Amino acid sequence: MITAQQKPINEIRGMLGPYKRILVLGCASCVAECAAGGQKETAMLASTLRMMAKMNNEDVTIHEHTLDRQCVRDFVVRLDEIISSYDAVLSLGCGAGVQAVAEMFSEIPIIPALNTEFIGETRAQGLWMENCLGCGDCMLYYFGGVCPLARCSKQLFNGPCGGSVGGRCEINQDVDCAWQQIIDRLTRFGAMDRLEMIYPPKNWSRKQGGGPRKIIREDQQR
Amino acid sequence: MRYNNSRTLALFYCQNVPGAGERERIGLEKKYGLSIRFFPIACSGRLEPVHLLSALENFADAAYVITCPQGMCRYFEGNLRAIKRVRRTQDIIAGIGLERERVGIVTGLKEDPKTLAEHAEEIFDKTLQMGRSPVLDKGEANYDHCATEAH
Amino acid sequence: MKYVSRLKSVLEKGGFAVTSECGPPKGADPQAILKKAELLRGKVDSVNVTDNQTGVVRLSSMAAGVLIRQAGLDPVLQMVVRDRNRIALQSDILGASAIGIRNVLCLSGDHQSFGNQPDAVGVFDLDSIQFVQVVKNMRDERVVIGGDTLGQPPDMFIGAAANPFADPLDFRVVRLAKKINAGADFIQTQCIFNFERFDKWLSAARDRGLTEKACILGGVTPLKSAGMARYMKTKVSGIDVPDELIRRMECVSKDRQREEGIRICVETIERLKQTPGIRGVHIMAIEWEEAVGEIAQRAGLLPRPVPDDQ
Repeated sequence: MITAQQKPINEIRGMLGPYKRILVLGCASCVAECAAGGQKETAMLASTLRMMAKMNNEDVTIHEHTLDRQCVRDFVVRLDEIISSYDAVLSLGCGAGVQAVAEMFSEIPIIPALNTEFIGETRAQGLWMENCLGCGDCMLYYFGGVCPLARCSKQLFNGPCGGSVGGRCEINQDVDCAWQQIIDRLTRFGAMDRLEMIYPPKNWSRKQGGGPRKIIREDQQR
Repeated sequence: MRYNNSRTLALFYCQNVPGAGERERIGLEKKYGLSIRFFPIACSGRLEPVHLLSALENFADAAYVITCPQGMCRYFEGNLRAIKRVRRTQDIIAGIGLERERVGIVTGLKEDPKTLAEHAEEIFDKTLQMGRSPVLDKGEANYDHCATEAH
Repeated sequence: MKYVSRLKSVLEKGGFAVTSECGPPKGADPQAILKKAELLRGKVDSVNVTDNQTGVVRLSSMAAGVLIRQAGLDPVLQMVVRDRNRIALQSDILGASAIGIRNVLCLSGDHQSFGNQPDAVGVFDLDSIQFVQVVKNMRDERVVIGGDTLGQPPDMFIGAAANPFADPLDFRVVRLAKKINAGADFIQTQCIFNFERFDKWLSAARDRGLTEKACILGGVTPLKSAGMARYMKTKVSGIDVPDELIRRMECVSKDRQREEGIRICVETIERLKQTPGIRGVHIMAIEWEEAVGEIAQRAGLLPRPVPDDQ
C-alpha cells in the first residue's frame, strides 16, 4: 500500500489561508490502513481545524467526507453533488488521490493534508516499513524476496557495503542491513550462487525513462 | 455554591473503575449538573482521540479519561493504549495553541483504587483552575455532538 | 609528457607498493592540498585523493588530483557513486585520463546522511562493482554502457576497496571476488587492526586464487590516542579494533600515545610484508600526513623506487 503521514497543522492552516468553506476529504483505502487519512483521521483533522478557527474568531465552515478511494474516478465522481458548496478541498488522500480529485474538479483548489511517504507493508500495529520503489522491473527472485533497491541505503546490487555490522546498516543502528537479510534468506534456500554473478547496471528507463508512466490494458477498457 | 456552571468537563471512564455503576453515575450527574458530562466506556482502550477532540470542540473545557487500575484491564492492554492516545491528543491540541492539560488521563492504583466520585471531584477541581477554553469562549456550545460518538 | 601509473609499475615489477591519502580542503585554496601532498613526496608511490569523504562538501577529488599530478606526484582518484550518475561517472573517467590521472578507486561512498548535506539525493545509479566493470570495459573494450564505442580509451589502473571486517564474513570474500572479476587491478583494504579476522579473510581469498588476480594492499592507520582507538571501535561501522590494542594504547601516558600508535602501525606493516598475497600497504594517516614518512622509514619502505616518468 501507499503510506502517508499528516503534515504539521500549521502548514495545513497556512495553505487553507483565504478559504471559507472547506471540505476535508478522507480516503478509506491505503491511507486509512496507515492511520493517516481514513475516516477517523479525517474527523480528527476537521475537528482540530474547527477548533483553530473558533480560537481565531474566524468564520469558516468545515465539513468532512470520506471516499472509498480518491484515486479512482468512479469514486471521485460522487463528489459531484456536494463539491459546489465549497471553495477548497483539503484532501487526506495520497499524492495520487489529491491529483485524481484535482483532475476531475478543475475549478476548485485541492490542498494536500498529507505527506505521501512510500510503498510499504504494515509490519505491526503502528509500524510501517518501506519495501518497494516501483522500479518497473522486479528482481526480488534474485535477492531472496528482499529488495536491495528499496531496503539498502545505498541501493547496492552486488552485496553489502563495508558498513554492514551485526546485521545493521551503517547509517543507523535501527536500520536492518538488507544485504544481511538477502544473504540469510538465500543461504537458507541454498541459493547463494545467485550472488556470485555481477548484476549489471539497473535499467532505470522502466522507472523514469519517459516521463510519467502509464499502463494501458485494452482488455480492461469499456 | 461550589459547582457552578463556569467550566465543563467531559469525563470518559472505564466501567471497571470502582463506583462506576449506573446508579452512582446518576447520582453524580445530579450533583454536578451540566458541569461534568459522564461517558462510560467498556474499555479505555476503545477511546479514540477524535472523541476527546470532539468534546473539546463542542462543549468541554477539559476532556479526561479515567482508566481501570494498572494491571486490571480486562483486555490486558486497554489502559496502556489509552495513555498513548491521550498523549497523541495532547500533541494535537498543543499544535493549535491549547494547553496540554485540557486533555488528560488518570489511572487508579491497584492497591487503593479511588472511586469514580473521588476521581471526578479531583479532576473537576483541576478543571476549575484552568481558564475557560478559548475554543468555547467565542463560539456557541453544542452539547449533543459528542455523546453519540463516544458510545 | 607521458603519464604512467607509478603504483602499477611498482606492482608490475614485483615491488611492495606504498600508497597514502590526502583529503582535499573545505575551501578553494590549492595550497592546502599541495602542502599535504608535499609531506608525501618520495615517501609513497601514489596518493589517494578522497572524494567528498563522509559526505562533506570539499574541493573536488578530480581538481585535487590534477594539482597533485602537476606537482609531480601520482594521484589515485577516488570516485564515489553516491554523487554522480553513470553519465557523469563515465565522462569523468575520460576527463581524468585526459589530464593525466592514471589510477582510479571505485567506491560506494559514505552515505550522504553522515555529512553536511544530509538532504541531498543519493544517486547510487551504479554500485561500486558495476562501476569497476564499466571502467574496465571503457579501457579494454573501448565501450561505454550500452555499447557505444569510444575514440581513445581511458588509461586507468583500476582499484576497489574491501572491508574484511564488515559482516557477513563469508560473503566478504565473495564480494572481493566480484570486484576482482569485474576488473579491479588492485584492492585497498579497510584499516587492519584485527589480524585474526584479516588472516581468515585473506586465506579464503587465496583459496579462491584472488591474490593472484589482483594486487591487495593492506590498509593501516596510525592511532593518535587511546580515545581515537575507542572511537573507531565503537562509532565507525566496519572498523574492528581489538580490546588488547586499546589497552596497549591506554597503558602509555597521553604524551606518548602518538609514538605508540606509530609503533603499532610499523609492526602491522612488518607483518603485512611477510604475509603471502599482500602486495603493498595503504597508509591512511587521518589528518596526520606528517606521520607517513616516519612510518615508511621505520617500516623499511624507503627509499621508494624512482618512477619511470622522471
